[in-house]
Amino acid sequence: MAVSRPKVEKSRFDLQEIKKLIELIERSPITEFELVAKDLRVRISKNGSGAPAVHEVVVPAAVLQTAPALAVAAPAAEPQKQLYEFKSPMVGTFYRSPSPDADPYVRTGDSVEPGKVLCIVEAMKLMNELECEVRGRIAEILVENTQPVEFGQVLFRIDTSAA
Amino acid sequence: MFEKVLIANRGEIALRIIRACRELGLKSVAVHSTADRDALHVKFADESVCIGPPSASESYLLPKALIAAAEITDAGAVHPGYGFLAENADFAQICLDHNLVWIGPSPRVIEKMGDKAEAKRTMQAAGCPVIPGWDGPVGSASDGRKAAEEIGLPVMIKAVAGGGGRGMRLITRWENFESTFEMARAEAEAAFNNGDLYLEKAIIEPRHIEIQLLGDGLGHCIHLGERDCTTQRRHQKLIEETPSPVMTAELRQRMGKIAAQAAAAVGYASAGTMEFLVDRDFNFYFMEMNTRIQVEHPITEQVTGFDLVKQQLRVALGDPLPDQGKVRLRGHAIECRINAEDPARSFLPSPGTILALHVPGGPGIRVDTHIYQGYTIPPYYDSLIAKLIAYGNDRSEALARMRRALDEFVVEGVRTTIPFHRTVLDNPRFVAGQIHTQWVEELMEQDAAKSAAA
Repeated sequence: MAVSRPKVEKSRFDLQEIKKLIELIERSPITEFELVAKDLRVRISKNGSGAPAVHEVVVPAAVLQTAPALAVAAPAAEPQKQLYEFKSPMVGTFYRSPSPDADPYVRTGDSVEPGKVLCIVEAMKLMNELECEVRGRIAEILVENTQPVEFGQVLFRIDTSAA
Repeated sequence: MFEKVLIANRGEIALRIIRACRELGLKSVAVHSTADRDALHVKFADESVCIGPPSASESYLLPKALIAAAEITDAGAVHPGYGFLAENADFAQICLDHNLVWIGPSPRVIEKMGDKAEAKRTMQAAGCPVIPGWDGPVGSASDGRKAAEEIGLPVMIKAVAGGGGRGMRLITRWENFESTFEMARAEAEAAFNNGDLYLEKAIIEPRHIEIQLLGDGLGHCIHLGERDCTTQRRHQKLIEETPSPVMTAELRQRMGKIAAQAAAAVGYASAGTMEFLVDRDFNFYFMEMNTRIQVEHPITEQVTGFDLVKQQLRVALGDPLPDQGKVRLRGHAIECRINAEDPARSFLPSPGTILALHVPGGPGIRVDTHIYQGYTIPPYYDSLIAKLIAYGNDRSEALARMRRALDEFVVEGVRTTIPFHRTVLDNPRFVAGQIHTQWVEELMEQDAAKSAAA
């Protein structure tokens, strides 16, 4: 069902609402988001413009006490990996190599750069080679060879901080 | 044969098809754009596939994405619903080329009957009266004027690839003919990517009456009575009912027979509808054919007991079609299209989130809808949010149930056409059945004049 909207009027966010907000922004094209309420400021930045942290969340002490786990994402967190999500631009069948016998285009840990072919997505018998858009290292391959993929499904996570 | 059906559509019709599949023991695959992630058809189908971004041209209208979705889910058939690619012969052919059963008539028949000028010629050849007019598209505005002079005023300008009133203009005076023609062309170009126009004699104050057909593709066709869709605004249907308040058994028999014969002659398969204009002297003229299931199909289901969507699936599965003798009409059914539009502001679309919802029920009420409390109506697609259908033993019982159901229907968060329908259902001319296709516009002009004077 629909994601519940964070209630901006209310001064106190609970942990669940902040988590939802982060998820919501992660899925959206928004790169930076700031919310200032009565006694609370939340800033979420995806590309870490300026600050290295992926998420910077400032919450009132009262909330922190009831939710110590959130402290991990607090400004004091260690510099994190910059993970770029490479998503499928179409629905189809995912292939890791140009032919069944060939080596895969990329393996975990491989360095990649813009223009490098990462995989094939087949739709209507057409083999669409998908090229990398960023420089970095393959951190994770999320889809198995020959698995069906949807539009917008994350195929690779690429560590751009390692470039 | 097939066991799994991909539904190349969204909204209430996708849900309607899922229900039919489930009742027949068929698996269903929903497709959706990123804007429809939380849509009910996605929740209720056996499987779902995200096929693209919100823009319909990159999702619901993209054959490549739909075929790929059918392939990765191993679907054996495609049901196109209405709108989107439902009357696209090329898409039907692509489905067949990919070994997918197309739930509808053959691409050849879609092409023949979908093209209005071609359909008119076909119907004329089958002995059906057609509206006098220019036989084929006209090029320039001056050619159009020449054609119009031949036919004589009043004349209707229409789009060859058209539907839903777009690219359509009524000409009653020669003044501004050229600019009106160009506007219609621009509208047709924008809506259908085809600016071809044709002209025909305008029938003044007609009723819109259509005949529901079912064919088996092997030359057997039956008719399931008429639907009266005279209550329209700018050629968009708002209220439909069956039987028509003006229909006689003799006229129904005549129209039904000629429609079924013509459809059988072209080898029509699946559900289809022939639309006619009926003038004050009960002359009927073939207007166009819709080679798909229609929005207003439920009223026919209520009075015939036929499940039209299941019939479409059965024909595609190769089951024989029932005989004409099995079609019996009983009672009266009426449908109000509930749109997320503001009737007080010239039916301006009103997308947004449904904050509160109460769907009417009780005896004789059917509601086909995809909305739920908390659902956000996306701004990218059409504004139909529910079809409210009332059935009664006779017209007055059906109307009384419809009024009562409209009063029970609560939708908060967006504007809807519910208040408009409630007003129409009380209007003496509507109740008496004395209306024509421009009646709603006249009514609204009168109301506007009244409130301006007040």
